[in-house]
Amino acid sequence: MHHRWNRLSAIAAGVMTMAAATAQAFPDRPVTIVVPFAAGGGTDITTRAMQEPMGKSLGTDIVVKNTAGAGGVAGVAEGARTRADGYTLAMAPVGPLTTQPHLRKLPYDLDSFDYVCLAYSAPSAFAVRRDAPYNTIAELVAYAKKYPGKLTFAVQAIGSIPHVAGLALAEMAGIQLSYLPVNGDGPAFKALLDGTADIFVPHVSFLSKNKEQVKGLAILQPERLPNLPDLPTAKEQGFDIDTPIWGGLVAPKGLPAEAKTKLEAGCKAATEAASFRKLMDDLAQPVAYMDGKAFEAYVRDQWTRNRRLLESAGLKQE
Amino acid sequence: MDPLLAGLAAAFEPASLLMVVIGTVIGVLVGVLPGLGSVVGITMVLPFTYGMPQTASIALMLGVFCGSCYGGSITAIVLNTPGTPQAAATVLDGYPMAKRGEADLAIGWVTAASTLGGLFSVLILILAAPQLAAFSLQFTPIEYFALGIFSLTCIANVSRDAMAKGLLAGMAGLFLATIGTDPVTGDLRFTFDVFELSSGIELVPVIVGLFAFSEMFVRTAERLDLGGAERFRVGFRLPPLREWRPRLGILLRSCLIGSFVGALPGTGAATASFIAYSEAKRVSPRRERMGHGEPDGLIAAESSNNAVTGSALVPTLALGVPGDPVTAVMLGALVIQGVAPGPQLFIDQMPLVYAIFFVLILCNIVMFATGALGAPLFTRVLRIPEPLLIPLVMVITLVGAYGVRGNMLDVWVALAAGAVGAVMRVTGFPIAPMVIGMVLSPMIEQSLRQGLVVTRGSFLAFFERPIALTLFALTAAIFLWPLVQRLRGKGRGKAAERVPDA
Repeated sequence: MHHRWNRLSAIAAGVMTMAAATAQAFPDRPVTIVVPFAAGGGTDITTRAMQEPMGKSLGTDIVVKNTAGAGGVAGVAEGARTRADGYTLAMAPVGPLTTQPHLRKLPYDLDSFDYVCLAYSAPSAFAVRRDAPYNTIAELVAYAKKYPGKLTFAVQAIGSIPHVAGLALAEMAGIQLSYLPVNGDGPAFKALLDGTADIFVPHVSFLSKNKEQVKGLAILQPERLPNLPDLPTAKEQGFDIDTPIWGGLVAPKGLPAEAKTKLEAGCKAATEAASFRKLMDDLAQPVAYMDGKAFEAYVRDQWTRNRRLLESAGLKQE
Repeated sequence: MDPLLAGLAAAFEPASLLMVVIGTVIGVLVGVLPGLGSVVGITMVLPFTYGMPQTASIALMLGVFCGSCYGGSITAIVLNTPGTPQAAATVLDGYPMAKRGEADLAIGWVTAASTLGGLFSVLILILAAPQLAAFSLQFTPIEYFALGIFSLTCIANVSRDAMAKGLLAGMAGLFLATIGTDPVTGDLRFTFDVFELSSGIELVPVIVGLFAFSEMFVRTAERLDLGGAERFRVGFRLPPLREWRPRLGILLRSCLIGSFVGALPGTGAATASFIAYSEAKRVSPRRERMGHGEPDGLIAAESSNNAVTGSALVPTLALGVPGDPVTAVMLGALVIQGVAPGPQLFIDQMPLVYAIFFVLILCNIVMFATGALGAPLFTRVLRIPEPLLIPLVMVITLVGAYGVRGNMLDVWVALAAGAVGAVMRVTGFPIAPMVIGMVLSPMIEQSLRQGLVVTRGSFLAFFERPIALTLFALTAAIFLWPLVQRLRGKGRGKAAERVPDA
């Protein structure tokens, strides 16, 4: 009998401490950020660069957890399923938030989340082989019209942002492209080099790193980049394609206001930290930040646009 | 300064040397622990490289890469379970040898073979990187498909003793890998609305289950044997030179296979070691003993998987195309270090390239030393009483299975694979073919379907390319060869006439 009471009181004490803990100011323990890709990729590196400055701003430690799988959907789903107390966030990338939901049934939708901040956004570009017979989108389109069905477009995954960019181009130009699904940037680059594919969409930083082997036709955002002034935008060539590769922090719906404010501030501080800026510089990636409200509006906007593009390509599924 | 000397100086800086040692030791340990593999090892050390000098950071990563390619073989020998997928073929002869009480000798063989394989591939990297890189660009999806089909002959080769069962297991492996997202259309296959299955079944939990758990399950069913542990020799014993001499051909052949496969982006060390093992099984004069603790099997599996290390750097450095997930992580780190891999690297940054060569050589030497010094410790595992060993292995491997992507599904997969593996062991189904099927399936399927995109749906175009055609012809020859031999054995005159249309 005694034992039982002891155990019960221990549990009661535990519950009380937990209740007390929630009454305390956020955060009183480490915050976990789920990265939906394996460690070592771009999203992972960016998140880890935020770890230290964001932790300092929040006054607690940040733990990065990698849950890879299903093109990032698995990790974002994990982020949607946790308790809405602000102690678990997901670094949600563009694909799992705005393209994957149109391709298959997912265990979350846009209303599953509270949006904390946009953490990074890298412009993308059309890349072709150095020796390709076209230097502008117009020349590429002319080539595609002259040789119908000849151009192959390597996509890192069906329904990914590069795929969306290709669909947009094909739709606007009225050309036919064959899509070759590969497993990411490296294989896409390989396909370009060995002649299997003719065009693909990498981060813009990829162009400067590999300029002996590839050339860029257009940067896929409205303005030119200061450090790549010679790369024209698709928009100025008459094709309004804007497909950055971005990601931001999300929490399950119902995040307490206090936690949200603090997390937003922490994210902002992280993206402004010198160490983070240096890494972005090394990756040739501009720093991008939006607060939760702007980020949510942006996500919804992108979601609608991608839905339309995937739908008109016949990829959308109910 | 001369670039060669500059490279040498960079490689022999104290920081670089220290990182070679630390990286290699971490790599070996990561390889030894089932579930943790090369990728996990590299990503573990990745954050530490950011603040390091260039050569030191490269040394740390290369050390982990080389060490982990080797480390898995120790577990394969001692526990009958590969520490990494690359070492799956090492189990076949490693464990039988350990069971005879000669784990010390088996570790001697694999350590020496791994080191020689690694050094061979450095030589390839030094002598032929640009040429090999150009050659790897000859491999389009069509050639990968042909290579995949050729590699399927491995299943037949390793199941000589139980052909039907081996082929069945191989088919099951090929099928398992199709669960999840269709690589071309993105549709879901065989997921039965279980969301977690949409990313497919991971290789590592399956290997952990098929080998480690099934072994442990079967052992718990056997009569407890507390005595006799003394017959397991502990320590490290190098095989004498006279044992090596007849096996040099196998060694060279396996090194070449490893270097060749490693230079092709998207293949990897597991494929290389299976092809090399199966080649050894086909040509070795001692092939009848392979699978029963024959050093030829150890040499083939281990020299080839370490021969991948140097050549996997060929496309990574010379083209900027990563060869596998490990070199992909390395490539990312190199870029952050301000290195721009690509054709220009071998012109503009020769000191760095030489430094990489020397670091790789050093890694292989340190790897040998780590194996030799660690062997007494590792072989002692065999003397741990089973009531302690079995739960220990179960816990470590379960954590490993979970750790790959932090998904509970993988734990269930590992346990289920353990049950399947135990049934297979009891009923005489070979396990390796299932793993071979699973390793090859994604490559075969994806390259076939990519190839069909490239040829716009034409199968015939697959036979118009010389390299692919050669590989298809080789595959046909390997399949028909036993038939030819049998016909010859029956009646020499008659058989000779029948061969051409066989």
